[in-house]
Order: sequence, then C-alpha cells, then structure tokens
Amino acid sequence: MLSPKTPETKPVKLSVKDVAFSYGEKKILDALTLDIHAERVTAIIGPSGCGKSTFLKCFNRIHEVTTAVKVSGDMLIDGVDIYKGGIDEIDLRRRVGMVFQKPNPFPKSIYENVAFGPRLFGVNDKVTLDVLVEDALRKAALWDEVKDRLKESASGMSGGQQQRLCIARALAVGPEVLLMDEPCSALDPIATSKIEELIMELKESLTIVIVTHNMQQAARVSDYTAFFWLGRLVEMDLTERIFTTPRERMTEDYITGRFG
Amino acid sequence: MNDSPESSLVAPALLLELPAADRLAPAPPEFRQSRFHRLADRWSHLVFLACSLLVVALIGGILFFLAARGLAAFLPLTGNTGRTLSFAEVFLSTDWAPSSDHFGILPFLGGSLAVTGLALLLAAPTGILTGVFIAKLAPSWMRSLMRQVMDLLVGIPSVVYGIFGLTIILPLVSHSFLKDAPASGFAISAMILSVMIVPTIVSLATDAFEGLPLSLDEGSQALGSSRWQAIWHVLIPAARPRLLTACVLGLGRAIGEAMAVQMVIGNNPQWIALMREFTDRAPFLRALFTPAATLTTELVQELPNTPTGSPWNNVLFAMGLLLYLLTMVLILATRRFGRNEVA
Repeated sequence: MLSPKTPETKPVKLSVKDVAFSYGEKKILDALTLDIHAERVTAIIGPSGCGKSTFLKCFNRIHEVTTAVKVSGDMLIDGVDIYKGGIDEIDLRRRVGMVFQKPNPFPKSIYENVAFGPRLFGVNDKVTLDVLVEDALRKAALWDEVKDRLKESASGMSGGQQQRLCIARALAVGPEVLLMDEPCSALDPIATSKIEELIMELKESLTIVIVTHNMQQAARVSDYTAFFWLGRLVEMDLTERIFTTPRERMTEDYITGRFG
Repeated sequence: MNDSPESSLVAPALLLELPAADRLAPAPPEFRQSRFHRLADRWSHLVFLACSLLVVALIGGILFFLAARGLAAFLPLTGNTGRTLSFAEVFLSTDWAPSSDHFGILPFLGGSLAVTGLALLLAAPTGILTGVFIAKLAPSWMRSLMRQVMDLLVGIPSVVYGIFGLTIILPLVSHSFLKDAPASGFAISAMILSVMIVPTIVSLATDAFEGLPLSLDEGSQALGSSRWQAIWHVLIPAARPRLLTACVLGLGRAIGEAMAVQMVIGNNPQWIALMREFTDRAPFLRALFTPAATLTTELVQELPNTPTGSPWNNVLFAMGLLLYLLTMVLILATRRFGRNEVA
C-alpha cells in the first residue's frame, strides 16, 4: 500500500474538475475536483445519500440508463473528456468496467455470462472466446471453482461466486478502470475477504475506484480515500493519512463513528 | 447494519421483564369485541367456503354436462337417440356432412388451430415488442397512457371487433387484394383475432419486463451493450418464461373466441376442398382467404338448429368438450412456464 513516505509514481488516469451533477432542479453533486491515479485503489466513503454512488456512475455514464441528468464540469479519462464528445459511451464502458452493489449475473450459463462482453464486440470464434473466458475467470479467482460447470446456470452459484463472476464478466472486455459500487455489501465476511484479496491482485494492472460503506474495507484495500458529505468532497488523501491524521474535523468524526 | 447483534441482545432482557401470571387480565370494556362480532368471526368462514364450493360446483358441472352430452355421441348413453359413432369417424375424418351421416370434425379442429396459430404469429411479436417499448423505452406519461389504453382494449366486447372486421377489413381486403371477389377466411379472422389478443399480450409482456431487476439492464449496458442489445440479448431471454405465459394466455383467448371469428371467417365446413382448388388455380396467398370454419364458429352456427340427442347434436357437444380440454391444456401449460420462471 502506498505510504506518505514514497512519492506517487503512477500517472493520473481519471481527472475530475469542478463537476456538478443535477437531477432536475436538485443538485446531487457539486464542485468536485479530484484526481485518480492509475493502478491504485481509490476508495470513496461517506454517509448514505452523500452522492458517492452517483459519482461513481458518472465515470461510465451508466446513470444515463435510468435518469435524465445534467453533468457539468470536466471528467477526463487519459485527458479526454467523457461527456463532451471525446468518446462515445459504448467505447467508454468497454474501457471503464463496473461491478454493482448486488451481484447481477444474467440468466445464462457461467460461460455465456463471461463471454457476453466479448460477443458484443464481435468476438464469435470459439477458440478465442474459450481463451478469453478462462483468462477472465482466472483473474477473478473463480476458474478452479467453476471450470467443470461452465455450462451451468449462473443463478445456482453462491452470492460471493456470483459477484466474482460479475467481476470476471467485466474483466473479459479488457477494461482499464474498474468501478465497484459497494461490491461486498450483499456478501458474508468470507466472500468479502475473497473479493478484497482480488482487488489487491487486480490493481497491479487496473485502476480501481470503490465505493464502500465499510471503513475497515477502505482502510484495508485502498491507496487513496475520498470522503464525501452531502454531495461535496470533504477531503481526499492517501488512505493512511485519512485514517491517522485527517485534516478535516468532519472526516475524523466520520471515520471514528461519531456520525454517519 | 449493526442492528441485528444489538436487537438479539435486547430481546432476552425484555423477556425477563414479562410478568409471570397464569392468565392475562381481561381487556377493559371499551376494547372488548361485541358478541355479534365474535359469532360472525366464527361462522363467516362458512360463507366464504360456500361461495368457493359454488364456483367449483359450477365449473365441475359444466365439465360434467359437456362430457355427458359429448360422450353420448360415442356411447349408448341416455342422451343418445340415434346411432353411436366411432372415435375414428369423428376425430380422424375431414368429411363433415351431417345430413348424409358424416361427422368428421377435423376441418373445424384444423380451422381453429390454423386461425389461432396465425393470430399468434401476428400478435406475439407485436405484443412483446410493444411491451418492451412501454416498459423500457416510453417516456413516463406515455407509459401510463398506453397501459390504460391496453387495459381498456382487453375489455372491448368481441362482437365489436367482429363488426370492425366485417365492415372495414373485409371490403378493404376484397378491394385491394382479391379484385373485388368477396373476402373472408383464415387471414382475416387471424387479423381480427390478433387485434383482439394483442392487448392481453402487451399487458402481460409489460409486466414481465417491468418485473425484471434494473440491475440486468445496467449490467448489460455497463459492459458496453447498446440499449437494443441489452433488450435483445438479456432482457427478452430473462423474461422468456413470462412472455411464453403471455402468449399462451393470448392463445387461450383466441381459441375460445366465437363471435368475432364467425362474422368474418365465411363459415364453410368444406373449406379443405375449396382451399385445394384455390392452391391449384390461384397464387398461394389466395388460399389464406378461403372461407372456412372453426370449432367455435360451427358451434354457434349449428347448435340451435339440431335436434337434441341426435348424433349431429351430440358431436357438436363433443366439439365443445374438445375446446374445453384444449383450453385446459393451455392453462396447465402456463402453470408450467410460470414454475420455470424461478430458475
């Protein structure tokens, strides 16, 4: 884990400048500015309704599926604005994968769940698909558990396995960024620790942004932590610093459990 | 989240504080139930039971009546005043000429299956895609409007659809496709029927799509699928069991429909011979407009004119029984699809 003594060597992957996000007249996020470094885990913490999930969904524009919202300001991936025509949402979502709060496998076989993404992008060759599926399942630490029942329905798996399947499914299209929206909130402690181990492995090659309600989880897995409150960024720093010597009183109150 | 350990700690403490009494003290008078309410409570379930038994008895009675009269065609039962027929000459023969003692009902069974099959072919894709539109694509004001319109359409009496077919569709088809020869037959009956059952399918398909978790939609699009790909590759397969149920219920409605079909189908029990003639002489599509008949239309047409107890009359009851059984099979099929839904 990144410590205050070693300087940051990784480039900025995602850059957010003065972003506001409104739904009708209601402002959900306001005046957000922060940078997210490549191959680091950035945790977003804050009380319910502070806009952290909404913020996460801005990075792959998935909120556009359900709501008509207005985003202003600049949100850049590798310096290219994702809202101002620099990149279309389909290409964006291939590069920025997402794992949701509740495991959401499709009602298909395990194999077809993972092959779904590659198929969308025109990979139909059986051999190539087999390789991609195995690779993604291995990266998600699921291969050994499911290699003999790839043709079985994903709905027969445990919650933790389903969530790792969803991670494998996201990895199969080769994303550069992985957004995780409270990925363990529906899981038991053992399944949770497996996902956390996985996060540590995946950050070798991926930029990970994780929203979490669980402060210990943020402390365990992340390099950076951002604390949100009422749609604003209160403080963002190295996780070690946030949890030992936060600059803001409010951050300290929150992580010590005085409100939230 | 940390509610549960707390509450499990609190519960035993509460239990300890309960008073240790043999009997509860009587409730204060203002909270006591009147004698009438107590009695009503005790006996009311009998009223409910009686009503349900009545309904069951009615349905069972209809089945019994149909079976008794229908089977009288084949067995020397009291309802039979003529000769008894063999199963083969009724169910395996296309020769329907009651006045010369031929009672093959295959033309009607074939007619029913052809008309309902065609109707479903037209109504299922339309209905399912409309369901997708209402549930997933339409703006909310349009969604509620469409749902209300569909619910209204389900309730329109079928004779109204029949009138529409008779006065609008028939002349239109006759004029535009058949060089002003009178139009009737399968294609038009199927069109009218499909218009009748589309609202049913739309309503159920909309429910099916609205019942799907939003996370499926999000999950698919988060992988970079277009909206259309999400609908086609994830939502429709996920809704498949309920969509099948919708189609089967539509089919059930179509197969039992008599009025609307009878007004436009042409009522020709000898349609098989006529269709052969058409396919020999005219382009294939002309065959779709052969005047024909179905189980329901034949019942409506002939039942009032046949002497009770005659083989002719009994065979018509047998056709009614067949319809009853077909509908029952369809309903059982929806049960089956419904059960698969959980998987």
